[in-house]
Amino acid sequence: MGNLGEALREELNCESALTIGGIGISESVVVTWIIMAVVLVLSLILTRNLKVEHPGKRQLLLEQAVTSLEGITEGILGPEGKQYAAYLTSVLLYLGIANLIGIFGFKPPTKDMNVTAALAIMSIILIEYAGIHRKGVKRWFKSFAEPIALIAPINVLELVIKPLSLCMRLFGNVLGAFVIMELIEYIVPVGVPVVFSMYFDIFDGLIQAYVFVFLTGLFMKEAME
Amino acid sequence: MNTTLIAIGAGIAVLTGIGAGVGIGIATSKATEAVARQPEAEGKITKLLLLGSALAEATAIYGFVIGLLIIILLS
Repeated sequence: MGNLGEALREELNCESALTIGGIGISESVVVTWIIMAVVLVLSLILTRNLKVEHPGKRQLLLEQAVTSLEGITEGILGPEGKQYAAYLTSVLLYLGIANLIGIFGFKPPTKDMNVTAALAIMSIILIEYAGIHRKGVKRWFKSFAEPIALIAPINVLELVIKPLSLCMRLFGNVLGAFVIMELIEYIVPVGVPVVFSMYFDIFDGLIQAYVFVFLTGLFMKEAME
Repeated sequence: MNTTLIAIGAGIAVLTGIGAGVGIGIATSKATEAVARQPEAEGKITKLLLLGSALAEATAIYGFVIGLLIIILLS
């Protein structure tokens, strides 16, 4: 019991991996930099020599991947919110890689609550921006009193509840999967963890990335109505 | 004595999983029925099922987070 508590506390603590100019840089930030570098290099390499006529195999695969990813977010946002699809696709890509990076031995950045909180805050800012952009400030304020003025306090509370639940859902899922995997590895170190890792690391990680983007898109669509 | 109480508290917090399990079970059963009735609407139904499951699952996750915080902060 005490051992488990200690181990869990160790996992929850986001220790600094290195310090630059007296500011501690936590491990999640470093892993995020690694993801950024990989995505940047990949996009630089993959987008070289694109042709309009006679596209190569690489370009066809790339076009297929980009179109299907953008199709997911555009499908959620609907035709009105197309301008936000690029952001959501980037978040989907980042979260997908971040949740899967545990396979390669890195610590998933989404296991740090600060990362999910930052993503959730960015989401709520974008949701409200989308609402203001579409409706104008006056109608945006009025929308808090819909459908009746009585529930205005609840609508204001939702400004806090939405990002909180987005943040906690992602963080709790990733951490929960991680803790369960640790326990399984503790009981049966060989063989069995591989089967469970398929579900907890790969399937659950991708589903949670999709759910985060899906809910953000849904809230944006709702704010734009 | 103290650790026993902490363990009981964490166990009670994780009971939120009951609600999430029942909720997701009902949602899945209805989704299966809906797909059986209208196979052409499968894409839309899957999307809605995923959304509902994510929302229902959130309660279980909250319980888990609370249980974890109980273990970490009190032990």
